[in-house]
Amino acid sequence: MSDAALLEDAATGIFRDHYTGDLLVAAKHAGWCAGLWKVLEETGMSLVSVPEDSGGTGGSVQEALTVIRLAGKYCAAVPLADTALLAGWALARAGLPVPKGPLAFAVAGTTSPLTVKQEGGGWKLSGTLGRVPWARFARALVIVAEHEDRCVVASVDPAQYKVSPGINLAGEARDDVVMENALVSGARVRAAPPGVSVENAWQRGALSRAVMMCGALDRILEMSVQYCRQRVQFGRPLGKFQAIQQELARLAGDAAIATACAMSAAGALDSGTQEFDIAVAKVRAGEAAQSGASIAHQVHGAIGVTEEYLLHHSTLRLWSWRSEYGSEAHWSERLGRTAIEGGSTWLWNTLTRH
Amino acid sequence: MFFSDTDFSALRLPESLNSLRDEIRRFLDRERRAGSFKPHLGHGEFDVAFSRRLGERGWIGMTWPRKYGGHERTHLERFVVLEELLAAGAPVHAHWNADRQIGPGLLRWGSEEQRMRYLPAMARGECCFAIGMSEPNAGSDLASVRTHAERVPGGWKLNGQKTWTSWAHKSSAMFVLCRTSPATQNRHEGLSQLIVDLSSPGITIRPIRFLDGAHRFNDVFFDDVFVPDDMVLGEIGQGWLQVTSELALERSGPERYMNTFPLFCLLLDALKQSNDRLARISVGAIVARFASLRRMSLAIAHAFSTKADPDVNTEAALVKDIGTVFERDILEAIRTLTDTVPTRDSSDEMERLFAEATLFAPIPTIRGGTTQVLRGIIARRLEATL
Ligand SMILES: Cc1cc2nc3c(=O)[nH]c(=O)nc-3n(C[C@H](O)[C@H](O)[C@H](O)COP(=O)(O)OP(=O)(O)OC[C@H]3O[C@@H](n4cnc5c(N)ncnc54)[C@H](O)[C@@H]3O)c2cc1C
Repeated sequence: MSDAALLEDAATGIFRDHYTGDLLVAAKHAGWCAGLWKVLEETGMSLVSVPEDSGGTGGSVQEALTVIRLAGKYCAAVPLADTALLAGWALARAGLPVPKGPLAFAVAGTTSPLTVKQEGGGWKLSGTLGRVPWARFARALVIVAEHEDRCVVASVDPAQYKVSPGINLAGEARDDVVMENALVSGARVRAAPPGVSVENAWQRGALSRAVMMCGALDRILEMSVQYCRQRVQFGRPLGKFQAIQQELARLAGDAAIATACAMSAAGALDSGTQEFDIAVAKVRAGEAAQSGASIAHQVHGAIGVTEEYLLHHSTLRLWSWRSEYGSEAHWSERLGRTAIEGGSTWLWNTLTRH
Repeated sequence: MFFSDTDFSALRLPESLNSLRDEIRRFLDRERRAGSFKPHLGHGEFDVAFSRRLGERGWIGMTWPRKYGGHERTHLERFVVLEELLAAGAPVHAHWNADRQIGPGLLRWGSEEQRMRYLPAMARGECCFAIGMSEPNAGSDLASVRTHAERVPGGWKLNGQKTWTSWAHKSSAMFVLCRTSPATQNRHEGLSQLIVDLSSPGITIRPIRFLDGAHRFNDVFFDDVFVPDDMVLGEIGQGWLQVTSELALERSGPERYMNTFPLFCLLLDALKQSNDRLARISVGAIVARFASLRRMSLAIAHAFSTKADPDVNTEAALVKDIGTVFERDILEAIRTLTDTVPTRDSSDEMERLFAEATLFAPIPTIRGGTTQVLRGIIARRLEATL
């Protein structure tokens, strides 16, 4: 078996064994699943792609995305992408220690402005960061923020901020974080190194959500095909009806497109020209989420909209993740602006460059 | 599940193809400036002289062996050439069938003599072939063809009718799928492919006018047409396997999502001064959809460049289904974002191409496997694997 397949197997095993249906339901009410997180941490899955000398597990971004995609597939209510791909990345790149435990991540830019002041040997942060994933459970909140015309990475101790808890549609913690002159020691703030910026952090966040959506789309495709095999109406399994088959084929197309784009963007990450591919990935994952979730619900009929049946754990996540780190409209508009400004020749050169 | 053998993160066109791309762009530029063609949608005009010039440069039959006039280049190189031709709206009809279907069919199933007879001329852009599959009563249900051939000394006697046969009136020969033994329980048995010389006695080609009056396809009637034994393609009785085995490349190429792309380029440039958020969003969504289809199409070309016979039929069906439906998004964007009136003989290129695209719009989701048929193929694979 290849390393990639081994990792996939190991991660799948963890989600299957340590995140049963009961735990999934409980997580929807608790805001996350502490038990699953513990296992992910113990097995090193929580810090894949964070270099070992920064306290991580090592491995490639691709490997991290494999685990993150499975987390999406199994509706894992844990800050996996946020810890490994986002906070862990920013800390390690900035040369800050990566604390043990779940990490929250926020990008302070135009949508969530933050005042960053340097005072003496330390820093003071003020402002409200809206809907920060997992903030109330985090051992540290890692912020990438603009400071004057530079960018800083700050690792903020939870004692320094107030959390007003919130959740997304799927019950995952999305908390507003309020800081009033939150004190952060100089040792926990660094000027962002090359490659780390508010923009890059935002793009990485978008990629993480696109990849999570790929996992969720895989899941609802599986659930739908299997449900249509079991459920009998008019004396036949639903899957024998052509109208249903056509819808399942469209759902499969949605899942395939989301994956093709997300993985293509993963390959372009940190290339300097990844913005285009990440925008494509987030737009297409969002469109697939919209179309795919509708189809999955339609073929399930009424049972799909019950609390008891597990489908909604996936579809509610899809609808939530669509709007995290920029909606389809946000990323389409960016793509559209560059395309219109660049003109058709620029666009064709860009589309065909790899 | 789908594309499970593709690593999209590593999928790249090799840098070495840049010079090929530059070369074809320069060629197309020169041709356009010299007025050799006017951009059209849907594979442009039927222009043998243009195909011949492509042939001279080695851009037809690119992947075929040299000994048959090919150029032994990769499927990725071919992909680059195809997408540049389509982006330019170049007239490629005269060699498209040969390059995409007939050539590969001959390479796979043809006799040495058949290959030597046709392939070098095809690669020069000088030999056009038609494809005779559909019949009045056999469309999506291709196995129900009734055209039949009867054993006679030295060959076969062919009777029946093909329909919708594109460019038969400009072709020298045609692949004909027919019954060579009566239908049994298994409808896929007893079918064969014959290569029919269209100058043979007993053939009548009658135009069918397209909805804009143009003559692109035909009814073709066979009345006791003699087809010698050496014009049987592959094996008698293996026709079904033969026609269904080459579908992946046929269904996944850039022509399955690029038919309206030249029009999109005009739209983009027309919006230069626009400051409309809706315009940016619609344009961006189209760019994203285009990019996603291209990645999947490229993945299939890549699979063919690494394996002789990759198993990507369902993936190809997916590209064709999604690509052909996508092409229409561009028309809707033009309607939403501009006041362009589709006008066939307009001197304004956008109006003219918008008219062409509108007239052409119903076709891509029908020919080469309808949307419904493709989704059936995808659904069967889901049923078998999930
Ligand atoms: C411009 C153009 C060029 C063509 N060129 C050629 C050519 O060169 N050579 C050639 O052989 N053919 C050619 N064709 C024919 C083409 O391959 C057929 O049109 C196609 O296979 C569909 O067959 P049909 O038109 O008979 O439609 P039908 O099969 O009658 O289908 C009509 C509708 O019914 C649907 N349908 C059919 N069966 C099913 C089913 N089982 N379940 C659900 N829905 C179904 C179809 O999806 C479609 O929507 C061409 C067609 C066009 C439009």
